[in-house]
Amino acid sequence: MAQSLTQDGMTLPADWRDLFALTKPRVMSLVVFTALCGLLAAPGHVHPVLAFSAILAIALGAGASGALNQWYEAGLDAKMKRTAGRPLPAGRLDPQTALHFGVGLAAFSVFLMLVAANWQAALLLTASILFYVFVYTMWLKPRTPQNIVIGGAAGAFPPLIGWVAATGSVAPLPVLLFLLIFLWTPPHFWALALFVRSDYAAAGIPMMPVVAGERSTRRQILFYAVIMAAAAIAPWPLGYTGALYGWTAVLLSALFVLLSIQVGTRRAGEGDLMLPEKRLFTFSIAYLFLLFGAVVADHMWPL
Amino acid sequence: MTDEPPPEPLTPEPFDEAEYRRRQRSRANMMAWMLGALAILFFLITIAKMQVNQ
Repeated sequence: MAQSLTQDGMTLPADWRDLFALTKPRVMSLVVFTALCGLLAAPGHVHPVLAFSAILAIALGAGASGALNQWYEAGLDAKMKRTAGRPLPAGRLDPQTALHFGVGLAAFSVFLMLVAANWQAALLLTASILFYVFVYTMWLKPRTPQNIVIGGAAGAFPPLIGWVAATGSVAPLPVLLFLLIFLWTPPHFWALALFVRSDYAAAGIPMMPVVAGERSTRRQILFYAVIMAAAAIAPWPLGYTGALYGWTAVLLSALFVLLSIQVGTRRAGEGDLMLPEKRLFTFSIAYLFLLFGAVVADHMWPL
Repeated sequence: MTDEPPPEPLTPEPFDEAEYRRRQRSRANMMAWMLGALAILFFLITIAKMQVNQ
């Protein structure tokens, strides 16, 4: 049973593990990896300490966004099985501590980026935090089934910020990497939404399967997977990467589209285990890790 | 009447002072480590910036 957070005028201090959980560490790992790849794929040399600090700033910014998202959505999280155990809905943390922690972490992350890298990267980091909290969490998510499509931009910022932290300017390759994550987000989240549909419906979040139905969601997963594959391969024929990245992108994207065809052309019956959807969701995470790893490998060892 | 009485609403357990002190100490330790790490990080950033600007 949860412990009361206040008693006799005393407030139980938050456990640091709960504050850490507030930053969504698993999401942060993908953010850190894509940001690091953006930084390493950039031309020129970055001092290792400055590179580490810039990546730390991006990680802290992502953590702050996650904390503010959980603070705002505590009521919704309590209604979903998947999120009911989080520190706020479980009653292990009081909302004010979460809010102060999120705002403080966001401000510090931008300050650290400004000190370690440049004002352009700090500005982009600020924009990504504000976009995630105000545009995605507060505005889009509770209102439209397109929440994931437009909100995907928030998760697409890290490689761009990593590149700008290293160079001080924007170039076509990080913009294409931004586009890749932007287009990857809908099939990734809609695959998840298909097998936790009842959770989203219970919380009243207008995710695509809840609003437009399963059939339409499946078709849209396939549509986005195809244009995402085109965006993933594009840096090779455009001359921004070499054959190492090119062939990796071709093979992985072909597999992504194949898995999406399985999801896009089937209908789930009563008691369906949703295995193709779970397979696509799991593969989509590995896809992004491998593809971004290939961007760096191609930069370091061009074929 | 065989109906069971409605369940009592769930009320969180009150915390004891030992738990309060444990969390306070744990957070103070964590804060000390983080402040130390930040001091070292900002020192290293300063040195790195001096090297880059040379």
